[in-house]
Amino acid sequence: MIRVENLRRCFGSLVAVDDVSFEVRDGEIFGLLGPNGAGKTTTINMICGVLQPDGGRVVIDDRDIWLEPAEVKRHLGVVPQEVAVYEDLTAFDNLAFWGSLYRLKGRELSSRIGDSLSRVGLADRAHDRVKTYSGGMKRRLNLCMGLLHRPKFLLLDEPTVGIDPQARLNILEVIREVAAGGTTVLYTTHYMDEAEQLCDRIGIIDHGRILAMGSLAELTRRAGEAEVLRLAGAFHDQETRDRLGAISGARVLRMDDDSAVLAIDGEGPGLLDVLPAVLDAGLGVEDVSIQRPNLESVFIALTGRELRD
Amino acid sequence: MAVLAILRRDLNRYRRNPVRTALLFAMPLTMAAIFALVFGGGGGGGDGITIRVLLWDEDASLLSMLARGAAGSDSADSRLDVVPIGREGLAMMERGEASALIHIPAGSTEDYLAGTPIRLEVVKNPSERFLPQVVEEGLGIGAAALSAISRLFRPELQQIRDFMDSSGFPADAGVGRLSATINGRLRGLEHVLFPPAIGLETVTMPNESEEPQATNASILAFFLPGLAVMGVLFLAQSATRDILRDRESGLLKHLLTAPVSPAQYLSGKCLSVLLVSVLGFGVLVLVGWAAGVSWGPPITVTLLVVATAVGASGTLLLIMSLVRTERQGDALTTIVIIAWSMLGGAFVPLASMPAFVRPLSATTLVFWATDAFNTMILHGGGFADVTLNLVVLFGTGSLLLAVGAVILTWKIRRGVV
Repeated sequence: MIRVENLRRCFGSLVAVDDVSFEVRDGEIFGLLGPNGAGKTTTINMICGVLQPDGGRVVIDDRDIWLEPAEVKRHLGVVPQEVAVYEDLTAFDNLAFWGSLYRLKGRELSSRIGDSLSRVGLADRAHDRVKTYSGGMKRRLNLCMGLLHRPKFLLLDEPTVGIDPQARLNILEVIREVAAGGTTVLYTTHYMDEAEQLCDRIGIIDHGRILAMGSLAELTRRAGEAEVLRLAGAFHDQETRDRLGAISGARVLRMDDDSAVLAIDGEGPGLLDVLPAVLDAGLGVEDVSIQRPNLESVFIALTGRELRD
Repeated sequence: MAVLAILRRDLNRYRRNPVRTALLFAMPLTMAAIFALVFGGGGGGGDGITIRVLLWDEDASLLSMLARGAAGSDSADSRLDVVPIGREGLAMMERGEASALIHIPAGSTEDYLAGTPIRLEVVKNPSERFLPQVVEEGLGIGAAALSAISRLFRPELQQIRDFMDSSGFPADAGVGRLSATINGRLRGLEHVLFPPAIGLETVTMPNESEEPQATNASILAFFLPGLAVMGVLFLAQSATRDILRDRESGLLKHLLTAPVSPAQYLSGKCLSVLLVSVLGFGVLVLVGWAAGVSWGPPITVTLLVVATAVGASGTLLLIMSLVRTERQGDALTTIVIIAWSMLGGAFVPLASMPAFVRPLSATTLVFWATDAFNTMILHGGGFADVTLNLVVLFGTGSLLLAVGAVILTWKIRRGVV
């Protein structure tokens, strides 16, 4: 189990992570979902022992990573956000070096390198220099380096950023396989669909704080099963804004001059009553879209902002 | 284990990048090669510089014999390469094939003996600065001497001319008279010529630092140690730059997620920097040795090479630990290397520096390394003579390595990287 207790980290006056606590249970995939700058990477850097926290602690397998770093790290696999490989070396050389850090050697090391590369579809390029690889191939090699020593705990920091859909699918598939084999996975992302598809439980993080945590079903329930209504139109005058705010059953999450986002709580009048009220209110609505309850709507409901904002 | 893994990985990277590795060694090797080519090898004085002079001789008489004789004298034969040539010499000069061309017009000897002013021409190669000037100055001195002889021995020269005009050998009596006349005139001039009003005595200044006198070493031997030390600093710069690259690319952070402590990472990097520096210096020592430089006792040289590498690595690691980006590191280390090399005597001998600069030299590791090598190469020193240098290089280098490692470790832990 990974236990994160009251983690806090500041950079000057900026509080990057503020009292973050959560647990990742053995064998589960836990997602940390949040927009860029939410504090995901800072959190994961503290969990994997490369960034000292200002407060709090991280316990992995009943060991504090800052008190017993070598022992904990031996069972930890990390896939960083940056492609951290030596481009002037071959994939085989990179993995051989990485394996030697975990005391793998000889036939076992070669065998594991072969298996890892086959798993991500890079076996036929094992002896090519990494600088000749595409971005997706480098990402897959990055993943290999985190898996080579078959860690009990795998931490992945946005491993699919900037790659093509095929490589992304491959990476997600490998993570599922690894988790199915009993590895505990902590996965950070700002892609809502990845968190929904992959994770058993999700923590939503923003501005360095965990806003909500649970399974997808729990989160949507906690957010009131709210459907989200997006409106396009002219909402710059105060009278229009007041009328929009007065519609029963709808809660204004966000409003600016040309758009508005409303949450329709499951316990209220419901979409079929709210929608006609919105359209008949003379607000000059030009376009309407409805979003079923999902992580995006949960995030909006919690923060008033969209994940991509 | 992790330290050796990091060292092996770095060596593997050098092996996988032969061009990059070659470039790493190219700078000090190129500089050493240029110095070797310019100044020549040999620990016993070297071949020096030969001035190629074309002699366009249309006179083919006494003056040209004198010119060739002067060029072929013992003192000049290794410095002047006089090539008899015709009018085509002008074309050769246009192609820059010689430093200068001397033209002796037809009838010059006859006119000289007759007391008529003559004109010798010098064509200089504009692409060379100093060597043509040497030829011009030398010819000017020769012309002044011939003018003085012409004025003093006008009648006798006329008589020589008559001898040359006559067919067959001159009569013994005539030669005897001419000889007696010249002898008499020289006796008359004896009080003017001897003793010379201005004497020339070469004095070697006593060594102010009470160091033993320099052996007869080549210019390459004089400059190579300083260049080699500077080259090692550049090698260390290139190797330590990797740390900044690792920091900026995220590789260092990734590495520290493995069971590798910052201290182990830095130890591995320091070992690889040291190894590269020692290898680089070793290559330069071999180049110097091949060019005839006698470095001194091999064990002491090895110790000095390692000590210099430790000093260079420590210096560069400390600087790299203080900067934030690779660009900052490059700029700062280059400035330090050049300044230290100039102050430390890599380019200019300490004795030629202004007095106020000399105390600053001792604050640079370049000085301690260069001084030690010079002591061994130029003065035949041994281990006992360079012990202090070894202590300073090892001690300071180790201290700087430790301080740099502590700063980097702190930065890594605090997330400043």
